[in-house]
Amino acid sequence: MNSKHRFSLLWVVFIVGLAVLPFVTPGTYVIGVMCFVAFYATLACGMAVLLEQAGIFSLAAPTFFGLGAYVAGILAAREILPPWAGIIFAALVVAAIAYIIGAPLLRLRGYYLACATFGLLFIVEIALAQSGEITGGHDGLMGIPPLSVVGFTLRGDFHYYFVSWVLCLGCLWFFFNMMNSRVGRAIKALHDSEVAASSVAINVPRFKLKVFVLTAVMASFAGSLYCFYLQFTTPSMFGFPLLVELLTMIVIGGATTLYGPVLGSVVLIWLREAIHVYLKGILPKLTAEVDAVFFGVLIVAILIFMPEGLAGGLDRLAHFGRRLLGKSA
Amino acid sequence: MASQPDSVLLDVQNVSRSFAGIRALNLVSFSVKRKKITAVIGPNGAGKSTLINVITGVYIPDSGGIHFGGSDIAGLPAHIVASKGIARTFQLEELFSSMTVIENAMTGCHGKTGSGMLACGFALPSARREEKRIREEAMECLAMVGLEEKALEPISRLPLGERKLVGIARALSMKPGFLMLDEPAGGLAGHEVERLVKLIHRLIEQGLTILLVEHNMPFVMSLSEKIVVLDAGVKIAEGTPEEVKNDERVIKAYLGQEL
Repeated sequence: MNSKHRFSLLWVVFIVGLAVLPFVTPGTYVIGVMCFVAFYATLACGMAVLLEQAGIFSLAAPTFFGLGAYVAGILAAREILPPWAGIIFAALVVAAIAYIIGAPLLRLRGYYLACATFGLLFIVEIALAQSGEITGGHDGLMGIPPLSVVGFTLRGDFHYYFVSWVLCLGCLWFFFNMMNSRVGRAIKALHDSEVAASSVAINVPRFKLKVFVLTAVMASFAGSLYCFYLQFTTPSMFGFPLLVELLTMIVIGGATTLYGPVLGSVVLIWLREAIHVYLKGILPKLTAEVDAVFFGVLIVAILIFMPEGLAGGLDRLAHFGRRLLGKSA
Repeated sequence: MASQPDSVLLDVQNVSRSFAGIRALNLVSFSVKRKKITAVIGPNGAGKSTLINVITGVYIPDSGGIHFGGSDIAGLPAHIVASKGIARTFQLEELFSSMTVIENAMTGCHGKTGSGMLACGFALPSARREEKRIREEAMECLAMVGLEEKALEPISRLPLGERKLVGIARALSMKPGFLMLDEPAGGLAGHEVERLVKLIHRLIEQGLTILLVEHNMPFVMSLSEKIVVLDAGVKIAEGTPEEVKNDERVIKAYLGQEL
């Protein structure tokens, strides 16, 4: 009961901080970066639930993110559907794809599933790049209009900041509720012991497929919003580099809690910004490779000193602090 | 089996199952009567655990029939068998180690509840009511095995004897008609075994049917009304504890062991 209370207090502080942030920071730079944090955090969270809670080693999050972006983007750019309807349509398409792909693939375990979804990542990226007439090919999809809902058009970082964080926190809230219900217990159970899970009438393949499709749909929502935010997408945005970033976020933040991946994406994206801002003078030819070196060092340091990620480290620190206070009092 | 009397709950007929050429079960037949304790004993490797796994759908039998309450369950997937009211525990516990004691017991309610993923994720009132009911039912089952005070402990912090009881509580929260206990007394201390015997008697009084797979001979002899003896996948004897104790083949199979 006590830990639950602390948990909600932490979230209240976080959400109030997010709400105040646009009004206390000058310009749109900070909230612009925070939009990316929200999109990435949504993806990383879904992926962490799959990896850590369900034990499903799927690397397909960038793929579903990209499909959500492209389907909604193409429909809006070609004026086939209004953006808001495109988002819903994209989610349905991605759900169907995740279902069709997941049904056979989720029979694979561990590394084999990782290999299969890793292949999917490249197949979709290449397909998007090669279907020039429909997707715009390597150059990317242009002419995506901004998101408009019932006559109100979202423009600029300020609007998308709120929309993206509502999506991210909404997904977190959904996961929190779900993981503390019969569905979440079924998902954790099938990870701990499949044979015991089926002995209490849990349909293991069905629940694996359900949580796989759920995270795919969330990734699709994030992707659709992402494409309306940038009004531009290229296939390479949804490829291997994004996967590596998501995994880095999960490792840095820690996958055992829901706020771990959020913390991971905040740290990773702001670290990247800091590298670019402060090291530009020293290393003018700054490329993604330099980022990779920094993140590599960070991952190694985290794995050595905080194997449960920042979230786990903070938990231990808080525990230590309380004991210290308790003793002095 | 039209002539099958009503008192028979589980009827296993000529069940065989091989693994890579080794016959783990060879034409095994026996029946379990309602509200009675039936035991399956046998030396190591006799096929006892395979038998449970074949009944619960973990393994599909190569041949033979398994009827539960009149319907054929041979070859059905494990979660369907479980939903018909067949609960089990595991020799190696197989508890959900990432959960607390009560959460383990709560998973037992899965088959009799139905809130979907969206209802749970959006915390709809119906899902929350169901969650509360699940918690109460799981708590009742923990109370039945005497673990209500450990409800919020993580599984890893419990000693072996209590972990075995959590497995039983999880099975009980399925509200089963038939319970299979796979070596429930294995590794337990004397006073823990006594506690288990009392619990099993109470469950029978409440109308449960129990199949016991066990190594602990005095435990089996004192509890069971019927004993089935397996050796190398073959049923070598069946009868009351007295009959089994004096059976030549059983004594031979257990050579050197006092029954």
